[in-house]
Amino acid sequence: MIDIKGLYKNYGSHQVLKNLNLTIPAHQVVAVIGPSGSGKSTFLRCINGLEEMTQGKITVNGHEIDANASKKVWQKAIYAIRQETGMVFQQFNLYPHKTVIENVTEAPIVVKKMQKEKAYTIASALLKRVGLSDKENVYPSQLSGGQQQRVAIARALAMEPKLMLFDEPTSALDPELVGEVLKVMKSLAEEGMTMIIVTHEMNFAKNVADRILFMADGVIVEDANPKAFFKRPQTNRAQQFLQQVTEF
Amino acid sequence: MDLVLENIPFLLKGAYYTLLITVVSMFFGLIIGLLAAIARIKGNRFVRNVARAYVSIIRGTPPLVQIVIVYYGLVDYGIELGPLTAAYIALSINIGAYVSEAFRGAIQSVPKGQTEAALATGMTEKQAMRRIIIPQAIRYAIPPLGNTFVGMLKETSLVSVIAVTELMRSAQLLVAQYYVYMPFYLSIGIMYWLMSNSY
Repeated sequence: MIDIKGLYKNYGSHQVLKNLNLTIPAHQVVAVIGPSGSGKSTFLRCINGLEEMTQGKITVNGHEIDANASKKVWQKAIYAIRQETGMVFQQFNLYPHKTVIENVTEAPIVVKKMQKEKAYTIASALLKRVGLSDKENVYPSQLSGGQQQRVAIARALAMEPKLMLFDEPTSALDPELVGEVLKVMKSLAEEGMTMIIVTHEMNFAKNVADRILFMADGVIVEDANPKAFFKRPQTNRAQQFLQQVTEF
Repeated sequence: MDLVLENIPFLLKGAYYTLLITVVSMFFGLIIGLLAAIARIKGNRFVRNVARAYVSIIRGTPPLVQIVIVYYGLVDYGIELGPLTAAYIALSINIGAYVSEAFRGAIQSVPKGQTEAALATGMTEKQAMRRIIIPQAIRYAIPPLGNTFVGMLKETSLVSVIAVTELMRSAQLLVAQYYVYMPFYLSIGIMYWLMSNSY
């Protein structure tokens, strides 16, 4: 479903991603972990073109983006990918001037030109699914962080994506609100959604993910099965990291 | 004082033109300003530079000069505008430059995450701008636009030089007729002040 070849990303002379190569099959749940500054978020944002890669090729659902392609070809592919890819951000990024349900209906109406009634029906169902039926007509500022993030997930799902990208979805939340968001994500995983999750929630990665990518300094240091990875990481870098996040 | 009261209808008519010119120029200025702001933020290099030059020239020259260029200067090229039309054109272009700066600041104060969220759902840059960024930017722009509006109201007095009988020129005509200055100028001062504080 996703195929990444020779992905490089530079900011000026600083190399953030160095030659990433991997394939992610449909329905796989991938947790990307690693120290901050390792390029996890940049990697995620290259997949839907929020970051332009410096070199390489990414194919998502048959749409190919190539760093060497012309701007026009690149744009066309990236629009196609984004319509099939949902993204959830650390800071939620809900539209503050729109109500909860309008946040969810916005993209289907504007991008897919969906009928309003149909979009609202779908949005209602999604909000029910994330447990926020009673909040349809309030504004995002009236919600807690956990509720906002669940709306953001519903907003992403409204486009009926084949792939979901999560960029540290629980890092900005108060500890007691993390669980409600992870629960929604877990149910998505169980339904077979293809997911790439950049996270610091090690327990979630261990229990929900099918695959761990451990990144450091712009490279994938380990690409492993979660149980194996958390039991016995193969590299020093990963051992060190796991020690630091679990020890206190 | 009696003279003023006697001529109040005439002054009110002047005030009406002052308000009319303000509102019309502000309306077109808002459109020009929004386009110029978007041009400066999203345009390619050429468009950006054109918009930047426009803002720089307009803000760097006196409005009085702009008005006489539009009204008298264009005659040299065979373009003869009526005084009121010339006033609308000159002031709309003038105010557009200030409005564009207000909008530009407002657009840039909308967090980057908003654009990213919109783009991530598949919107084009244009859709994100229209549906997500501009509605939020307008809220940020309201306080500076209020100042610009009041500034415009006062600036309209300059079009008295091209024989538009707005409030300033109304007073000048009355002065010429009765040979007293203070009552008329004081009255229109008060009228400007009242209008500036009640928008």
